[in-house]
Amino acid sequence: MALGFWGVGLPLGLFGILFCETTAQRLTVLALASVFLVVGALIGKAKR
Amino acid sequence: MKLAVVDWLFIGWYLVLSIAIGLYYSKRAGKSISEYFLSGRSLPWWLLGTSMVATSFSSDTPLAVTGIVVKDGVAGNWLWWNFMLGGALTVLFFAHLWRRAEVVTEVEFIAIRYSGRPARFLRGFKALYLGIPVSCITFGWVTLAMVRIIQTVFGTSGVAALAICLGLTIFYTTLSGLWGVVATDMLLFGVAMAGSIILSVVSVEKAGGIGALVDAVKAAGAATGKDYLSVIPPLGRALPLAFFIAVFVQWWAVYYPGAEPGGGGWSAQRMLAAKDPRHAVKGTLWFTVANYVIRPWPWILTALAAIVVFPGLTGAAPGEMEAAYPRMIGFLPKGLAGIIIASLFAAFMSTIESIVNLSGSFLLNDFYRPFIKKDASEKHYVAVSRVLVLIISLLGAGFSYVLGSVKMGWQLVMELSAGIGLVLLLRWYWWRVNAWSEIAALGASAVTAITLKLVPDNPVVRGLGRTLERAGFAVDAWGVKILLIVAVTTVAWMAATFLTKPDDEAKLLAFYRKVRPGGAWGPIAKLNGRSYKLQAAPFAGWALAVVMIFFLLFGLGRIIFRDWGPGAAYLAAGGLAAFGLSRIIAKMDWEGQ
Repeated sequence: MALGFWGVGLPLGLFGILFCETTAQRLTVLALASVFLVVGALIGKAKR
Repeated sequence: MKLAVVDWLFIGWYLVLSIAIGLYYSKRAGKSISEYFLSGRSLPWWLLGTSMVATSFSSDTPLAVTGIVVKDGVAGNWLWWNFMLGGALTVLFFAHLWRRAEVVTEVEFIAIRYSGRPARFLRGFKALYLGIPVSCITFGWVTLAMVRIIQTVFGTSGVAALAICLGLTIFYTTLSGLWGVVATDMLLFGVAMAGSIILSVVSVEKAGGIGALVDAVKAAGAATGKDYLSVIPPLGRALPLAFFIAVFVQWWAVYYPGAEPGGGGWSAQRMLAAKDPRHAVKGTLWFTVANYVIRPWPWILTALAAIVVFPGLTGAAPGEMEAAYPRMIGFLPKGLAGIIIASLFAAFMSTIESIVNLSGSFLLNDFYRPFIKKDASEKHYVAVSRVLVLIISLLGAGFSYVLGSVKMGWQLVMELSAGIGLVLLLRWYWWRVNAWSEIAALGASAVTAITLKLVPDNPVVRGLGRTLERAGFAVDAWGVKILLIVAVTTVAWMAATFLTKPDDEAKLLAFYRKVRPGGAWGPIAKLNGRSYKLQAAPFAGWALAVVMIFFLLFGLGRIIFRDWGPGAAYLAAGGLAAFGLSRIIAKMDWEGQ
């Protein structure tokens, strides 16, 4: 499950950098990507 | 709309991840029925709560909210916000009892609570009714909504992609049981929410930014005579009956899938799968907060932006109002469009997988096992469960082709059980409720609903309507119908309760000892030699939960519209209520020892 969150968060962040057209879009997508990465880390930690 | 290669890459990658997570759990799910349908009763609160909210977030939910906001403004959402009152009730009064009951399904509750042939009939009937027609109609409705979204975005070319997505979802759900469902739900909910947030940001930008959006929506409201931004409906000189029913009746009386009075369906399945009663309570609370506070605002913003971006939308047909949501996807840049499409697939998949797993549990646990093959091995039951889940999936997919009648069937299912909520609540807290009470409630609700469908304009309806008008209500046909169904159903089941014998003492005593519910259990508590009391804390907790959710919901809205002062005050009030509620939840003895 943790890998799933990282698997979505990383491309989301990459897409945010590459394809967003405005600052608001870029900030939103990067914030969401970091939420995915943090949740993935928390799940990974909980499993350990 | 034509997607770029990067969009398809993201969609494909997301599907691979979801299926991999689902399949990872297939071995674990195959061990026993408890593992297949209840994840071995080991779910922590955050997993079960997220799975509940992912399931209730279907692909057509954003479209429905868009239609509501475009037609009646933000306040139109009271149509479903009222269920929050019932949700908070489930958190404080029922979630822990479900977990203590330790049944496999909502329907099996009948077997531990009621006795005799009426109980056997009721269990078999509900297993088949909820397992086949209700599940197939829900499956068909959700799939149809997704087909419409795909056709709005791509034309007919996207339907093949949807068929692949549906096939893969059924494949991993059949193999992995509830383990796969809840694990993928975590990711699906995240992707679905991310998509709706990104779309709302792009939509607001398209409308000129939040300030311009607010001004334009106010101007549109001045032209149509509506306040689209208000969270309270226009009360005027007469109180709208629909609003009165939403706030005071609907949430405890109407059985709505996903918001059943006292919990039921997929929400009960997840409470039953919790690690312990406390996790069931906390998970259900997380679901209620996520469902009513976190989900709605991105959809509402997109809907308000659609009013500005598509002039004339407020006077359009209902279907066109709803289609404004997928139409907004056309404004997304390359790369982000794929994320939004994946988010709609995620919402669709999370609902479908839960529907088929749940219906399989009813058919296996409450029909096949008690009535067809009693003492088989766990491996046999898991194999049969997989076959049943597959059959229900195929039936549901078939139902998707019956377009108009599916909608009619769905409305009928809703209306047939419109008045049964009270008996579902009281069966936990009043010893005298028996199987006949539920049978009478189901029968009376169905008969009244069908009669009102066949003869909608009759002397009783007209008389009640006039009385309500004299009492100061702005009357509408739907409100009168719901009040009549609830009144007739309540009289019928109360009469049936008092005209029939109570259940066997041994059965009631076993239930009382196992579930420890408190409430009106006088004679049984005496037999038990010990009485379990209904404490004051859940009542205070319910009030705090309601205050918390409303203040957080409306405070978030104020902040989004840059109404900083009131927004901060609302959020602070919501935070205070949350603190009080957390103290109550931490101190309560959810085991009931």
